[in-house]
Amino acid sequence: MHASNQVAQRRSTTFPLDVLIIDGDKGFTRNCVKTIESSAYTVVGANTAQAGLAVAETSHPRVVIVDWNTPGGNGLEILKSLAEREPTAVPVVVTANATVDAAVEAMKHGAFDFLAKPVDSEKLLETVRRGLDLSSLRKEAAGAEAETDASKKYDLLLQGLDVLGEAYSMGIEKKQLLDELTFLENEAKYHAESLGQIKKKERVILDIRNDLAEVDAILRKYDFQKNSLIQVLLDVQESFRWLPRHILNWISGRLNIPIREIYVIANFYEAFSLAPRGRHTIHVCTGTACHVRGASETLTRISSTLGIAAGETDKDQEFTLETVHCIGCCALAPVVQIDKQYYRDPSKKELEKIIKTLKQEKEEPCLA
Amino acid sequence: MSRLKKPADLKKLKKEAVARRGAKKTWLAVCTGTGCRAYGAEPLADSFEGEIARRGIADTVGVRRTGCHGFCERGPLVVIQPEDTCYLGAKPKNVPDIIDRLTTGEGNVEKLLYLDEANGERLSRLEQIPFYKHQKRILLENNVLIDPSDILDYIAVGGYSALAKVLAGMAPEDVLKEVTDANLRGRGGGGFPAGWKWETTRDAPEEPKYVIVNADEGDPGAYMDRSILEGNPHSVLEGLIIGAYTIGASQGFIYVRQEYPLARKHAERALDQAREYGLLGRNILGTDFSFDVKIHRGAGAFVSGESSALMCAIEGHVGEPRPKYIHTSEKGLWGKPSCLNNVETWANVPHIINHGAEWFGRMGTEKSKGTKIFSLVGKVKNTGLVEVPMGITLRDIIFKIGGGVPKGKKFKAVQTGGPSGGVIPESLLDLPVDFDELTKVGSMMGSGGMIVMDENTCMVDTARYYTNFLAHESCGKCVPCREGLRQTLEILNRIAAGRGKEGDLALLEELGEFMEAASLCALGQSAPFPVLSTLKYFRKEYEEHIREKRCAAGVCTELIAYVIDQEKCTACGACFRNCPVDAINKSKDKVFTIIQEKCIKCGACYTACPDKFSAVVKVPATTMQKQSAGAATLHETKA
Ligand SMILES: Cc1cc2nc3c(=O)[nH]c(=O)nc-3n(C[C@H](O)[C@H](O)[C@H](O)COP(=O)(O)O)c2cc1C
Ligand code: SF4
Ligand code: SF4
Ligand code: FES
Repeated sequence: MHASNQVAQRRSTTFPLDVLIIDGDKGFTRNCVKTIESSAYTVVGANTAQAGLAVAETSHPRVVIVDWNTPGGNGLEILKSLAEREPTAVPVVVTANATVDAAVEAMKHGAFDFLAKPVDSEKLLETVRRGLDLSSLRKEAAGAEAETDASKKYDLLLQGLDVLGEAYSMGIEKKQLLDELTFLENEAKYHAESLGQIKKKERVILDIRNDLAEVDAILRKYDFQKNSLIQVLLDVQESFRWLPRHILNWISGRLNIPIREIYVIANFYEAFSLAPRGRHTIHVCTGTACHVRGASETLTRISSTLGIAAGETDKDQEFTLETVHCIGCCALAPVVQIDKQYYRDPSKKELEKIIKTLKQEKEEPCLA
Repeated sequence: MSRLKKPADLKKLKKEAVARRGAKKTWLAVCTGTGCRAYGAEPLADSFEGEIARRGIADTVGVRRTGCHGFCERGPLVVIQPEDTCYLGAKPKNVPDIIDRLTTGEGNVEKLLYLDEANGERLSRLEQIPFYKHQKRILLENNVLIDPSDILDYIAVGGYSALAKVLAGMAPEDVLKEVTDANLRGRGGGGFPAGWKWETTRDAPEEPKYVIVNADEGDPGAYMDRSILEGNPHSVLEGLIIGAYTIGASQGFIYVRQEYPLARKHAERALDQAREYGLLGRNILGTDFSFDVKIHRGAGAFVSGESSALMCAIEGHVGEPRPKYIHTSEKGLWGKPSCLNNVETWANVPHIINHGAEWFGRMGTEKSKGTKIFSLVGKVKNTGLVEVPMGITLRDIIFKIGGGVPKGKKFKAVQTGGPSGGVIPESLLDLPVDFDELTKVGSMMGSGGMIVMDENTCMVDTARYYTNFLAHESCGKCVPCREGLRQTLEILNRIAAGRGKEGDLALLEELGEFMEAASLCALGQSAPFPVLSTLKYFRKEYEEHIREKRCAAGVCTELIAYVIDQEKCTACGACFRNCPVDAINKSKDKVFTIIQEKCIKCGACYTACPDKFSAVVKVPATTMQKQSAGAATLHETKA
């Protein structure tokens, strides 16, 4: 009933509050407040359990000093409700008639320390300091939890928005409410964004880890033999459609071959590509048999149909156009190889049809 | 059936394999080589199988997916055995008809048989078809008969009997003598006697020794190695195992280019199966001889087919040639004696062992024995793989087997030996084909690419094409090859663009001599041959390019222009739709014209214009420059 009076002792409104004292003994309370304030902490004293818990709820104290025999509810009750409502607050119990039983009971219910009255000011401050440290740790832990569970938080925020929105529609048109709403909205966006970024990073890391596991499987096939480098690179080229740098570095380490040497080989052979290739590769044969039967015209036709020149990949990374010197199908000259299928000089119409069907396919066709 | 424990066990296995094949009365051999696959041979084979199952005749009729039969031009090919009825270009829709005839025994599906244009007669049997009739198929014969992924098929037709014969009682010296007496010469390029090479490696003091199959087949326009490895991989493997036994090698390699995934797959499977039957691996056929083989994929570099470069690549390095003061047969892979032979060379070995050197020597010319497979491609009617005895004339190959030049065009030249070879003009068509004769006329046997060229092939362009290829493929290690090729290419580009100078031809010859003499490996040494041989036989064409700025074949784009004959054009619009750069417009007279300034001379309109109109024509570019009005005045210039 006189809660407001006692709460009046509250000096500072900065929150969260550093220390809350709940003790029926007004003199003791006042002394403690003075001592603690002198060390530049924010502190509030309350003389009844109800008043104390009310303060705790609004100003989230970091350390709560509780008299074991507070009027209006004994210390144990207070500890229980604190644990429920303010789980990060660090409770400290004080008592005039300290017994071992009481101390054990208090500790069991989460008290961080147990002080016997009279409490000397050094001891009090020391306890408060340690209590505050612990509270920071607890907050951090809780924060970390909240962050890893950002999606939950995001949901919560959305719920909050709903509630506020409801309140707003009910006619509570306070500017404060609107501000709160914008604030929460921004907060929600921020979290969603960082969640997205975290997820993205996670994906990249996971992808790389999978890539390297795949490369390791290839290397294992060749017993990690140095002289199998070209075979390994061929397999990598086949699965990844190019030779990404992180993989070459990995191979360099695994086979103990200088990266320079790997690049020399990758540049020397036609089969390797140091830039991503399209999902589909179109090889136009310009071998002799195909050349005398007009392969250059075939090449122009394909290149104009696709809109890319030989050696290029389109910007959607669908198709890579390449020339090749004989694919051993000379009797059908001029020959075009699209993925694993061979075609005899496809006309523009045929090409367009093939390209269309390939674009529709999600996965590469798996022909023999 | 498990491992064969002694050479004699093979006979028993063969009997079983033959019985298994005989269980069905009729076999449909569907070619599923790479060429026929492009025509849709796989779905065709599927529908044969489906139809046979549907009719419940699977007990008597079987489908066998084989490797390349050779007549790639007319695929997909189906041969019905044992009658040897040969169907060309069959489609799934023909399947019920084919099976009908088969079950009722009422004749053949006439329209799928070969049509002899001379007398309008349909020829049903494979050996009647001129393309096959004039061949002598020893290495390719089994391609029509066996499923390459089934070792029992190979054994049924006598496979591995040569190996069994060797292991049952021939000393390595005896095998060596047989191969040397047969005078088997390398089919991969140079024609070096295989026996000598084997002996050098065998006698080299160091151990271990290696044997290697060269299946890099870098020569554009040649694909016989691919077809052997795809269609009959065990024949190569058997030859290799016999070679390893003779030479004393315990490890072998097959170097196959990565552009040939099917060849690799079949070779891999062959290795697995051979191991399973005890024909490869530890204690082959129960003897003391152990030998195994690994497959190494080439990553696409022509020069890596050269012996020292190839071995570098197997070691995992960049495949560049090294100076060969000491041959690879003495110091090759990891510095150890290594015998490298071409696919076709190895595949000959089992036949020599089975039939003897004397039999082998009966085929061919004095110094080139046996048969050779050529890939007959380019401007020839019957493109495909042909196996002929050495000594047959070029004319027989191109006209009797190949059916001559299509579309009534005139034959101009034939190119052999790939980028290291040269062109041979019509006047030399009666030349017997063997290693030495081809070299004499400035070309070479090479790996067996035979590219036929007609009047629409330009010789300057051909030389430029090969030079460009080689300049791209030169590893750049030695100056004569690298710079020689670059300069040669520059001169040829100039000539092709109509900016040739007097004296260019002499310069080309000088450069050629220099490269031939001073290059490190055979790539550089033989690089000038395409230029020198075209210069030798077609000098006039070069001179026309230089003096008259004219490309008679209509190939060198900067010397020609495309125009539309306004009188022939029916305004169908095909050219208009196919032009990639929108250089074609409707003119006042409602027909089409080409805007010369925009034209990139890709020839799309020329191909697109239907044959019955043939309204797009090639004219010398010089006539266009003189006429500012362009197409409208075409008829005046022609007249
Ligand atoms: C640049 C160059 C490329 C070659 N490419 C091949 C090839 O692709 N396949 C091949 O069998 N031989 C090729 N050779 C020839 C090989 O060096 C070697 O002579 C041959 O494989 C030996 O086998 P053979 O005696 O059975 O012919 C090439 C040679 C050079 C100089
Ligand atoms: S001749 Fe050409 S390919 Fe051969 S080593 Fe010299 S530069 Fe390399
Ligand atoms: S394709 Fe031939 S006929 Fe048709 S519009 Fe073009 S030039 Fe005329
Ligand atoms: S030259 Fe084109 S496939 Fe051989």
